[in-house]
Amino acid sequence: MSASLEKGINVLKEVIDAPIASYFNSCVHCGLCAEACLFYTETGDPKYTPIHKLEPLRRVYRQEYTLLGRLAKLFGLSKPVTDEELEEWKPLVYDSCTMCGRCSLVCPVGNDIVYMVRKLREGMAVSGHAPDGLVGASTRAVEIGSPMGVRLPAVQAQMKHVHAETGIEIPLDVVGVEYMVLMSSMEIINFPEYLSAIARIMKQAGKSWTLCSDAFEATNSGIQIGVSDIAKVLVQRIVDGAEKLKVKTVISPECGHAYTALRWEGPNLIGRPYTFEVLHILEVLDGFRSQGLIKTQGFEEARLTFHDPCQLVRRGGVFEQPRNLLKMVAKDFVEMDDSGKMNWCCGGGGGVSAIEEAVPLRLQAFKIKKAQLEATGAKTLVTACANCRIVIEEGLEHYQMNIPVVGVTETLASHLVEGE
Amino acid sequence: MTIDNDSDFKTALDELSRAGQRLVAARFVENVLALNQDAKVTTAVNAAKRTDITEDELAAAVQSAKKASVDSFTQCGHECDWGKQAGHFVAEAALACIKPAEPRGNAAWDAAMHARMARTCKSIAAGVGTDNDEAAAQYGILAEFMNK
Repeated sequence: MSASLEKGINVLKEVIDAPIASYFNSCVHCGLCAEACLFYTETGDPKYTPIHKLEPLRRVYRQEYTLLGRLAKLFGLSKPVTDEELEEWKPLVYDSCTMCGRCSLVCPVGNDIVYMVRKLREGMAVSGHAPDGLVGASTRAVEIGSPMGVRLPAVQAQMKHVHAETGIEIPLDVVGVEYMVLMSSMEIINFPEYLSAIARIMKQAGKSWTLCSDAFEATNSGIQIGVSDIAKVLVQRIVDGAEKLKVKTVISPECGHAYTALRWEGPNLIGRPYTFEVLHILEVLDGFRSQGLIKTQGFEEARLTFHDPCQLVRRGGVFEQPRNLLKMVAKDFVEMDDSGKMNWCCGGGGGVSAIEEAVPLRLQAFKIKKAQLEATGAKTLVTACANCRIVIEEGLEHYQMNIPVVGVTETLASHLVEGE
Repeated sequence: MTIDNDSDFKTALDELSRAGQRLVAARFVENVLALNQDAKVTTAVNAAKRTDITEDELAAAVQSAKKASVDSFTQCGHECDWGKQAGHFVAEAALACIKPAEPRGNAAWDAAMHARMARTCKSIAAGVGTDNDEAAAQYGILAEFMNK
């Protein structure tokens, strides 16, 4: 056994806790999780059945923590987990799992399969079986501060750009304000309209806010690759920034997993509660709406539909907020079939979009989103995750569907009553 | 006419007709066109400059520019190549020139902003900071356009 494999197996032994033990024992092999997974439904290949993706973890559980499994191991009657097997499983654990949580939701015995995938990824990463794309992203996140290599000068360039565009000075490192706004690298690199929209909405709402030079990045590739130590470093960076600036609320951007990482996993990772609140931008904007702080004019002419990012709606319960906001600016809003908590993933979450080898499978899985969209007759798709946005744009382009994809925040900002 | 700030720049652009906005938008894109090597972008800019273009030709040019834009996105988690990202914003600027007009939109302003992002990305790629003269160049292009 190689040293890295031994480390990986030891990590798997460590991460198997009471919930995982009960999940493996409770599984009734009904196959409902397969029907909930877009990689299974769009390929028909049984290897993409979510519970099957956990086979190496299940074997370690059986061999280490059950009487029969230990006896079988003792007498050489069960196969040990090998490097070759983990390498074979890599496309199942990473390329074909977006950690969207649809399988967990439909499991009749309540097994949180995503939780188990997350734990299996811990062992995969330590044993050297994580995809190169995610290894690179995680390394950059720790060393540079962004999985995509964005440094502060690029953020400052965007701040200047937004200032020129809107006339609003973007605050940086201001102590004692209400909100600290985080961005994803995707928004810094591809979508400058997000920061512009935030600036305009905050101005109209009369709220104080700031960016933080030490913690402008929200995304957490530690969660995606499955290394809690990296995830902790990235969360701690944000916590340190927020506490230094003494803000009341940190706003997670239009990004799915960043919200999960910071809001739900973060306090457990750093081992203490936050001294501030964490909200997704949609929660903040809907709060402004309910307080009458956002005034809009006009309506979108095209028929709109909304793609629920998995981490927001299924893992975070953010369902009503985007709909409340879109009602302010859209008369012809239609829901997709299976919208809300049963929405189908874009196919690129959980780090999948960072994995080059996964592109063909991802595009194949996109057929489910294509069908959902076609059924609505929508002319514009709105979403609230920059990763979903690009993955969907790529899918639409691949299938030659001409539907613009935009974010909720910028859509709302484009209807603000300004200049009064 | 002299323009030396964004406020005057935007006001002047708002006063142009839709056709005028498209023409000057194309000039803004041409000023950064060297940052993108995709022929589809050049095709889109040429389409924006034609006053006799048909609806079908315009729709095809939009599709083409959109493809150039999507093809050049930096994917989530990938290391950003700022030189290529400059090309993406040129494609976005070209798309802004020709896509259907939005009620509260201004194609020339949108194209100008994307062109500035392209230049900024190129500056980052070149390691020469983020300051550049694209805004000033656009003031000059607009002034020349309006003085004709």
